[in-house]
Amino acid sequence: MEQFYTKSPQVQNIIKGLNLTRTLFVSSIIIGEAGSGKKTLARSLFPDAVVVSGYNQEEVQNALENHDELILTDFEKLSNPNALKFDNKRIIATANHINNQENIDNLFAFIYNLPSLKERIEDAVYIRAIFIKEACTNLMIDENDINTQEFPIDLSSNTKSLKKSVYEHVMYHAMGAKEIEEAIYTYLLKHMDGNNAYKEHLELYEKPLIEAGLKKFGSQLQLSQVLGINRNTLRKKIYEHHID
Amino acid sequence: MNTISIDFKPFVEWDNSPFILFDHQGKIVYLNNAAEILFGHVTPKEIYDIAVAYAPQNFGFMTTTVSLNYDAFSFYALTVGYENDDQIAIRLYNKPRIRQNIPIQKDKLITTDINILLEANIALFKTKNQNSLTLLTDQEIPRFKIDQNNFSKLLRKTLDSFRASDSIAISLRMLIGEHIIIAGKRESMVQLRIEANGRYVDHDDEIKALTENTHIACSLKERSIKLDIPLIQ
Repeated sequence: MEQFYTKSPQVQNIIKGLNLTRTLFVSSIIIGEAGSGKKTLARSLFPDAVVVSGYNQEEVQNALENHDELILTDFEKLSNPNALKFDNKRIIATANHINNQENIDNLFAFIYNLPSLKERIEDAVYIRAIFIKEACTNLMIDENDINTQEFPIDLSSNTKSLKKSVYEHVMYHAMGAKEIEEAIYTYLLKHMDGNNAYKEHLELYEKPLIEAGLKKFGSQLQLSQVLGINRNTLRKKIYEHHID
Repeated sequence: MNTISIDFKPFVEWDNSPFILFDHQGKIVYLNNAAEILFGHVTPKEIYDIAVAYAPQNFGFMTTTVSLNYDAFSFYALTVGYENDDQIAIRLYNKPRIRQNIPIQKDKLITTDINILLEANIALFKTKNQNSLTLLTDQEIPRFKIDQNNFSKLLRKTLDSFRASDSIAISLRMLIGEHIIIAGKRESMVQLRIEANGRYVDHDDEIKALTENTHIACSLKERSIKLDIPLIQ
């Protein structure tokens, strides 16, 4: 069964409302950005409900005839929401946005607005920890070997972007020289072109080298010694690669 | 016809329209049964002020067409009269009521605990508003038949009217001694009352529309909304 975690009082009230109406025949809709957890929330509270998508109006209408309890996802995609009859049905709909407020008002008894993850930072931190654990297990990496605290929290597309950024960062930490070589090989195979490819793609090596070096050693003087190159050459490269 | 021997008092006493006789200080000298019920909803002072405002310039009687509303009571006219400086009388004329004959859509009604619906709606309200709110409810209210979806919509609109209000007080209680006859059966009633320092009126038409064709009576005031709900069994 799916679990929904939250520390946000606003979301806790949504869960309370949905839990109270679990046994009643009322129609509810959860509106929130893509990836904010609407479907997970609905499925965790109504695990036995049949799930249908608004992309297929006919399927929704058939399901309404045959079931008393339904999770209706992508409500905004329905071609004709007015044709639906929710009388004496338990409906939990989800929508990324509302096309017509009046329709929603007429059809639904309970209209919940699920805040995005940006508005629920505590939840985002918790979900990130789950994703890190999941990514480490899937990629067979020991979580203790990586410093997950430094991972940025990308919430531009809620859980979707968060999950992507977590997997990417876990991968970065897991890669050895061989994997990096292979990654660059794959990349170059796809992108190498023109008549200046050597110079153009040197950046792939030089830019992270200098950036990481500056972060690690602080001054250009020290870094030039570590790299074993002239200070002026280093300065020239910093300028060329637009490194601040 | 000799009318001197007829005692008219019982006719006034049992008149369905309120009749009140005040002394010159506004104290009630006499009131009929209808007025007694009316005073459960309006103060005698308010009616006295109306009587003075609509009194004829000289001794005598004057009828004025004026629309007055107190909760469920509506009047379309009043007569004020006085024959001396000591007493003034007012009679309010009940607005004729159309007898409602709303069929019960039994297939839509499901036996429900109203407290659950109310609590769920308060939870919904709290997802959008942080206003302070008190709830006084009677957990002993028996389950009764209600259109859950429609009633939830009504509650949502009603509560939403208080979205910017402070100190919202919600109370749900049995109405002792009040009944409604629905489909030949006598049903008890509960009253949901929401009060605050003020409220929005933008949903009033929708609230009225949602109570139409149900047996729920709504009373919309400047600072409060009352819903009288029959306990259909």
